[in-house]
Amino acid sequence: MERVDVTGEVCPRPALIVRRELSDLDDGETLFVEGDYPPAERNLRRSCTTHGFDVRDADDLVDAEDDTFGLLISTGSDERPED
Amino acid sequence: MGERERPAAEAALTEYAELHGCSCKVGQGDLEALLADAGLETGPQTDTSDRGDTLLGVGDDAAARRLRDDLALVSTVDFFTPVVDDPYEFGQIAACNAASDAFATGATENLSCLVVLGLPRELTDYAADIVAGIADALAAIDGEISGGHTVLNPWPLAGGAVTATAHPNNVRSSAGAAPGDVLYLTKPLGTQPAAGALRTADGEFAETVAETAPRPVETIGSEAVTWMTTPNRDAARALTEHVGALTDVTGFGLRGQSRTLAARSGVGVELTRLPVIEGTPALSRLFGYGLETGESAETSGGLLAAVPPERAADAEAALADRDVFFRTVGRVTDGAGVELVDPTVEPVSL
Repeated sequence: MERVDVTGEVCPRPALIVRRELSDLDDGETLFVEGDYPPAERNLRRSCTTHGFDVRDADDLVDAEDDTFGLLISTGSDERPED
Repeated sequence: MGERERPAAEAALTEYAELHGCSCKVGQGDLEALLADAGLETGPQTDTSDRGDTLLGVGDDAAARRLRDDLALVSTVDFFTPVVDDPYEFGQIAACNAASDAFATGATENLSCLVVLGLPRELTDYAADIVAGIADALAAIDGEISGGHTVLNPWPLAGGAVTATAHPNNVRSSAGAAPGDVLYLTKPLGTQPAAGALRTADGEFAETVAETAPRPVETIGSEAVTWMTTPNRDAARALTEHVGALTDVTGFGLRGQSRTLAARSGVGVELTRLPVIEGTPALSRLFGYGLETGESAETSGGLLAAVPPERAADAEAALADRDVFFRTVGRVTDGAGVELVDPTVEPVSL
């Protein structure tokens, strides 16, 4: 599983970094994202869902410190058309 | 505004804060929990008859106190982290945003501001430009800086404690909307994705951002700055006599502010139209900001007004007379909370 750590990255960079990582994945692969920037988790969920990715909670895969979050993002579903 | 010398420092203001503009505001749920924990109530304010000379208090956009039968003093404090890198523009936006909370109560006279300024040690060269921006923005609304307080702080902060006056009968709040009222918004949305695009316009993601934006990022950014530095005074003067409820749209976004208005008025809100700075929806989708669901934070946003239908034509005429931008964004219902009703996303360009 590919991993990317956006700890310390400030909005909107986490969404852009994750987008770049996702573009390198093959269908069916999963990206594990961890970070600590409070609004980033919500923004990542939103941007990835909007673009057709499956997003799951993975807080159990990170050290449960303060605002640290973990997300599992999977490719494979149909990407929504851009307008 | 005269000639301004640029500070020698080249550091980007926005790089010094993890949250930007009104996004640094504590979340709506957290704030309500904090107030509840402290024993301060913010529930529906439909009955204000027992509040004596306190016209507005905790949970309102500003505090208001009746000093005389014909005079109320409105006071508010608002400061935030940089949303743009230019210190002068940051000052202008901070002043417009702080004054907006007074305007959202209908108070537009005798405006003065005690400046709140915090800067990291390495950015103290920016102080004069930030304060100049605040002073010029206040001068444009017949206000002035009457003092302030300046500290060293890891995150840059600017804003102020603003006072203004109004006739007590003309003090408005987010309570007072009634089913059937028409909802107006006096600035387009989208300042958060616009500012986010500016922050990433010349870094490693410049190409991605430029390809995503249907217009040049600089154009979107400069229009956002124009809106953020547009004071809400004219909108307040046009609307006050016509509205049932009045507030401004800031860090909670249109949806969050509508939720507040609905809760405090004991009504529901349906949002049917979202005017947005042209090009910002695509950026919002890229960044995950939720602009098209009204969730994106706004910095120095417009006034949100609930106007009884029989007053709508007069309100629109008053706004047009003052050349104030406005759109009908929805209506007030006898339900509860906020509902997005297949909203039309309308691009707005200057």
